[in-house]
Amino acid sequence: MKRYLSHPFWQGAIVVVASYVAFEYVIGYVLPVIGVASAPVPSSVIVEYMLIVLVGVLLYMSADEERWQRFREPIRETMVQPDRRTLRGILMVAFPVLIGWLAYERVKPSYAAPATLRAVHPAPPNQLTFRGETIELTGLENPLREEGSMEEHLAVGKRIYVRNCVPCHGDLLDGQGHYAQAFNPVPADFTSSGNLPQLTESYVFWRIVKGGPGLPREGTPWDSAMPAWETILEQDEIWATILYLYDQTGFPPRTWEEEGGHE
Amino acid sequence: MRASRGTGIVLLALFAAAPPALAGQEDAAAAGKIVYDRWCAECHGETGQGDGSAAASMLPRPRDFAQALYQIRTTGSGQLPTDADIRFAIENGLPGTTMPGWPNLTDQEIDDVIVYLKSFSRFFAQGPAPEPLDFGSDPGGGPAAIEAGAAAYLTMLCEECHGLSGRGDGTSAPTLEDWRGLPIRAADLTEAWVFNGGSSVEDMHTRMLTGLDGTPMPSAIDAMNSGVVSPDEVWQLAHYLASFGPREMPPLREVIRVGRAEGGLPADGGEEAWAGVEAFHFPLSGQVVQLPRNFAPTVDGLWVQGLHDGNDVALRVQWNDPSNSPDPNWDEWQNKITAALDLDGAEAIALDSAGAPSVRPPDAVLLQFPFEMPEGTDRPYFLMGDAREPVYLWTWDSETGVGAARGRGLDSVEPLAEDPVAGEATWEEGRWTLYVRRPIEVESEGLDFVEGTPTPIAFQAWDGSSAEVGKRSSVSTWYYILLEPPASSTVVVTPLLAMLLTGAFGLVLVRRAQDRRRDR
Repeated sequence: MKRYLSHPFWQGAIVVVASYVAFEYVIGYVLPVIGVASAPVPSSVIVEYMLIVLVGVLLYMSADEERWQRFREPIRETMVQPDRRTLRGILMVAFPVLIGWLAYERVKPSYAAPATLRAVHPAPPNQLTFRGETIELTGLENPLREEGSMEEHLAVGKRIYVRNCVPCHGDLLDGQGHYAQAFNPVPADFTSSGNLPQLTESYVFWRIVKGGPGLPREGTPWDSAMPAWETILEQDEIWATILYLYDQTGFPPRTWEEEGGHE
Repeated sequence: MRASRGTGIVLLALFAAAPPALAGQEDAAAAGKIVYDRWCAECHGETGQGDGSAAASMLPRPRDFAQALYQIRTTGSGQLPTDADIRFAIENGLPGTTMPGWPNLTDQEIDDVIVYLKSFSRFFAQGPAPEPLDFGSDPGGGPAAIEAGAAAYLTMLCEECHGLSGRGDGTSAPTLEDWRGLPIRAADLTEAWVFNGGSSVEDMHTRMLTGLDGTPMPSAIDAMNSGVVSPDEVWQLAHYLASFGPREMPPLREVIRVGRAEGGLPADGGEEAWAGVEAFHFPLSGQVVQLPRNFAPTVDGLWVQGLHDGNDVALRVQWNDPSNSPDPNWDEWQNKITAALDLDGAEAIALDSAGAPSVRPPDAVLLQFPFEMPEGTDRPYFLMGDAREPVYLWTWDSETGVGAARGRGLDSVEPLAEDPVAGEATWEEGRWTLYVRRPIEVESEGLDFVEGTPTPIAFQAWDGSSAEVGKRSSVSTWYYILLEPPASSTVVVTPLLAMLLTGAFGLVLVRRAQDRRRDR
């Protein structure tokens, strides 16, 4: 065992195999099991990564003449030694078959949906128009925090939310309303720490006012079922709903002081 | 969650006259009120009468706790539910309604809220705690049990409401109403995943024995006591119900695979020609994006199958709809839906002097594609496109049949008279089967499909007898349809070539290494 571990050829082989296992299985399947958000790596990306690993291993091995000789030795032995004839034969068949299989994987007809890259929180504009009225978003705070009774604002927000938002975003604000399953992309989960606490109230205001149709291209506006709520709700109703979202989930909004852009 | 002191004092004052034995209950009710006000009141109402601010857009309506009529129980017909029954509904939700499960609540919070719910009705305080029925034991399923269950289905007159095929299309279906006089659907037994009391054989057996109080669904106990059916036959009936369809909603697959037809395309939507062709299920939701919205749609999903022969593409679309609209038998139903449901600003269909609706809208469905094959990932807006990017539509309704159109938004549809798309639809026992066929490429305006390239597709559906017209429809977002390309030689040639080249390269390497060794 130790003999193999100290030999450059087997070191290189172990690095290559371990990298493949990491890219193919650990990132996509093991990480989610231990609670880290992750997704399977596309095969084209794996091929790219593996090429980089292979080049890296070869560079390292050939950097030192003695190491390079030792690295090449098992390969050479297998190619020339008469007593390695059987192994040679097996490899001469197995290697082309592997290449043929990889080639087939690339050209075989695919019935998968095309991959779409979608920015979940695209950069917001500096201003928006609400039914023709221009509103500056930069530095904008929720006006209802400074006026009227918070209890009443929250009651309004809750009424608006349950009447209008529940079908998709759900009673639990978890994005699992009774229509959620019919929509792709799925409705936002407000209980996720990746949403509300990362966003200023002005950002949430923009997303509600302009909805799916107001997304920039990288947000795939043609897919989103989020209505442009300026067609249905008044400004104060939207601000009250935002108060309710943060209150009911217990998250504080991101403030402008710590704001460094949404990119 | 702890009760805030202020609320506790107020409630203590209210219950000051109660005997001391109930003090623990009062604390629980006070704690339950906090949970209830936070999560439940907006639908069920502050006084528990099922009249919260959002209730009017829900059918069925939220439970009225003051009436204490609970559908999902393990107790006899007309009896109160056990605490475990109420907990079951809170934990699991009621599929097919707007009531979700509440995994965010702790056991203690659920216990407290149950105490508070019961305090809305005076019935719980009277008499002993309700006891579950004895459900006996399941004699087992299998083909013989299912056959016996099918007979019991008729003996028990299940088909009068649920229909012969279980799709909720029985002759009584249009007349059904709940205890409030609101229209209520006979359950579609082919969609077990929206059974609000659970979809296992045991669940269905329990529902039959207890009945669904407040709805027309009776308890089977009377029929058992009078000897119409035996206890075993009710179990067999449950097994028969379980055979109507899958328990879970079919998994969503994003790409409809349209295979190449061996020996010609089917000429219609008939079962024989389409048997064995893979079917893809797509859930639909109410159109809740633009006013007027549809909060309680009839069509909650459809099935799509496709075949092509290199020249034409044929699709079969099936969806459940208990009414073959327009149908005067459903006039009452249409009127009741119009009256009961918040139409979100849509104009209600007027009634004539005899009380019949002045308009009986047709059933309709449409299949939506981009007008041209999109470049990159860009697509038209999923809700029938917009002014900048139109969509290409295959339309069908039960009055004018199949056609094609250009859509530039939900209220902008322009027929394409030249389009060669053709087809027909038939309605049988609560299910529409639509067959459409068109050349893959067309000379007229409209989308040319490209074999092997996924094309975006989306769906919309209307049930005329539920007054679904215009924007009040069921919708989906974008999915894909893919016409299988002809078997290509590259699939075979490329790997073979790669193998040959690698093999030859390896041979050369080995030969050279061996030569060099000999030379040495």
